[in-house]
Amino acid sequence: MTTLQLLVNGLALGAAYALVALGFVLVLNATSAVNFAQGDLVTAGGLLAVALAPLIPLPGIALLPVVLVIMAALGLLLALAAYLPLRRSPPVAVFISTIAVGIILQNGASVLFGPEPRAAPPLLSGGTVDLGGLVVAEQSLAIIAVAGLLIAGQQWLFARTQVGRRLRATAQDPEMARACGVPVTAMILVTFALGTAYAGAAGLLLANRYFVTPTAGGDLILKAYIAVTIGGWGSVPGAVVGALLIALFEVGVSSVLSYPVALGLLYAALLVILLARPQGLFGEAARRRA
Amino acid sequence: MRRVLKPTPTLTLPRWAGEGIGFAVLGAYALLYASPYGLRVLTVAGVYALAAIGFQIVFGLGGALSLAHGAFFGVGAYATGILGSQLGWTFAATFPLSILVPFLLALLVGLPVLRLESHYFALATLGIAQVVLLLAVNCPGLTGGANGLPGVPGIVLFGWAVPRGLPLAAVVWGFVALGGALAWSLARGRWGRALTLVRDDPLAAGALGLDVGRLRLGAFALSAVYAGAAGALSVHTQRVVSPEVLEFPVMVSILAIAVVGGRGRVAGAVLGAVLLVHLPEWFRFLERSYLIVYGVALLATIVLLPEGLTGLLDRLFPPRRRALPAAVAPSAAASVEGAVLRVEGLRKAFGGVRAVDGVALTLEAGSITGLIGPNGSGKTTVINLISGLERPDAGRVVVAGQDLAGKRPDRIARAGIARTFQAVSLPEGATVLEAVAAARLERDRSVAEAEAHALWALERLGAADLAQRPCADLPAALRRRVELARALARQPAVLLLDEPAAGLTDAEKADLAGHLRAIAAAGTALLVVEHDMGFLLPLAGHVLCLDQGRTLYDGPPAGVRGDAAVVAAYLGEDAP
Repeated sequence: MTTLQLLVNGLALGAAYALVALGFVLVLNATSAVNFAQGDLVTAGGLLAVALAPLIPLPGIALLPVVLVIMAALGLLLALAAYLPLRRSPPVAVFISTIAVGIILQNGASVLFGPEPRAAPPLLSGGTVDLGGLVVAEQSLAIIAVAGLLIAGQQWLFARTQVGRRLRATAQDPEMARACGVPVTAMILVTFALGTAYAGAAGLLLANRYFVTPTAGGDLILKAYIAVTIGGWGSVPGAVVGALLIALFEVGVSSVLSYPVALGLLYAALLVILLARPQGLFGEAARRRA
Repeated sequence: MRRVLKPTPTLTLPRWAGEGIGFAVLGAYALLYASPYGLRVLTVAGVYALAAIGFQIVFGLGGALSLAHGAFFGVGAYATGILGSQLGWTFAATFPLSILVPFLLALLVGLPVLRLESHYFALATLGIAQVVLLLAVNCPGLTGGANGLPGVPGIVLFGWAVPRGLPLAAVVWGFVALGGALAWSLARGRWGRALTLVRDDPLAAGALGLDVGRLRLGAFALSAVYAGAAGALSVHTQRVVSPEVLEFPVMVSILAIAVVGGRGRVAGAVLGAVLLVHLPEWFRFLERSYLIVYGVALLATIVLLPEGLTGLLDRLFPPRRRALPAAVAPSAAASVEGAVLRVEGLRKAFGGVRAVDGVALTLEAGSITGLIGPNGSGKTTVINLISGLERPDAGRVVVAGQDLAGKRPDRIARAGIARTFQAVSLPEGATVLEAVAAARLERDRSVAEAEAHALWALERLGAADLAQRPCADLPAALRRRVELARALARQPAVLLLDEPAAGLTDAEKADLAGHLRAIAAAGTALLVVEHDMGFLLPLAGHVLCLDQGRTLYDGPPAGVRGDAAVVAAYLGEDAP
């Protein structure tokens, strides 16, 4: 495989990771709480796509809106069960409650689907594309395009719409936002719905090339966490950049050595970064809370 | 001032009656009713109880959400597995090593990792756990890879090969009792008290002379000892070791046990382990996915019962209030004369802003010095620099001939400097007496002695009647009083007070002024940051006024109102 093909693969993986990290950091900013279930929500989205595929015999791209809507509803449920009752508790309480939700999702998935890896349908046809001599998987390009559109959609929503302004106000200073008449609780619910929908979309995107197993969420939350740490705790563009860096590192090292080595080096690199620069590579953007 | 509390005429049970009854019930079940399979489940429950007791130390008492606890469990398990099955070593050799290896690993990774903020700490420890798991799966030469290592020998105690069933369960639970008793006495003692303060308020802990880093590292390393011992026992129970012992479900189980049982409680760890390990037996239809039940139990507990089951039991059967100790004056600090604190050329910049720019001051024993200035003039930063909360860019902070500038807060506190904070923070879960006694933990030999001395400090401020009230219930004025008592309990040579009169009524201010005069008269040097000139000027013998980090005025209080530079700083440059 040429370097350019690896680059496309890395970017596709990174685009999917970016969706996971984006959802994670949006919830983090709105609530100051770490959503540890984010990785298992990706798995849930992937398995949802697997389950929907026989019902909707169309290319995977047609499943995307359905996955987004169902996962958004799951996000609301998550907020109602694991965040809202604990908003006055210490931050570690939400950390634990989302760990609990993750356990429920993970083991619920293995009851429903069994432990075997499953694959969702490809977004388009699943063939390859010849780009002037460079043969790349169509799926990779489709992942980059879909993830890019979703990320651009989030940027547009936050920058250009009234809801977006309220969401940003909530993320910046919930007390102040409430004083200015922003319905903060509703905005937090919207953020959870959006973050979970994006995790689900990432699940759909990943579940064709990389398959999906019920226990895959543990690695994904770590990668989202690492992306957000590298990008600067609380920084939205930083999370996307961090996710791309992680994926390129992973694909690059895997091609030369092996995936376990890549993963081990990634965690080791994370530890070094944390110790050398506890505020992240690009500084912290969020208030310091767990 | 002291109140005599009449003991209520109830049936007096020893404090550990609940635990005793629990153990008796478990023992009776094991001896009389349990099937061989039931004994096996009970043995596993003991293994998890031991691991969870260790987790209570680092997470419950120390407040550090260590996600490496499962990894320490697994490392202990692998140490026993490799040494026992590959090298044929016996329990007498493998067990101590299975404790030592996780202990050393915890010391090694703990030093850097424990400096991290809470969420980074959790992430970093999870990263460590993942690296250990990857190593175990991918180094088949040493660990047997994904299949693990079979043929681990059983426990041999003093030549007696412990058979499965009741004897094995008894041995495992013997370790639980031993470890539980040790953790219980540690938790109730000075170390446990200090650790809870580090959890609730690390800044205050440092200011009270407690070495926060060392306490955290000690808790982390001790938790690894428990995890390693539990891991070793689990392998002796299973007779095989595989990567399963390192996977996240182990960590999740221990976390769930600690939270469901009740954070920080040894009894909670045991209760949680017995309950959660048996839960899957009652939900057999879920088969492998019993962890769903753990997830639901964990979520329900954290939402509905944040104090866990032991917290619920405490609410149903409230523990008796302990009688107050008799107040005892601590042995007098060596009395010093003359200058006790000399600050020279103190500088600190935040980004481009010079918050403190060449401040010098000298505090004499028994004197009261006022530190005034407009908002943002650097008053609190001066106190933070002297007490070690911030590191000065330049300058000297000399106490008893020693330059302490840039030293750790606890080191400076032990040199005789105490402080209060502008925003009073007291540990919400503690009583007033416990909060004040925290100031003496570093110095006194026992909690009882610390509490006796704490009561003395409260009495000096006329606040002894607050001793048994929970800090969470106190109004602002009383919280300031308690915080002052806590600083006073350190018998400091220098006391730095950051806006002690903020939010007090005129009567309370007059009362406070009287107390401050008495403290100074006893030989302590006071530095008081305050905005209320009507309170401060009659009190202080000397006043410094700061503006933009520089000293504008340094002289007697009488001259400050008439000083043109001071008036200009307060009212703006154009003022006459």
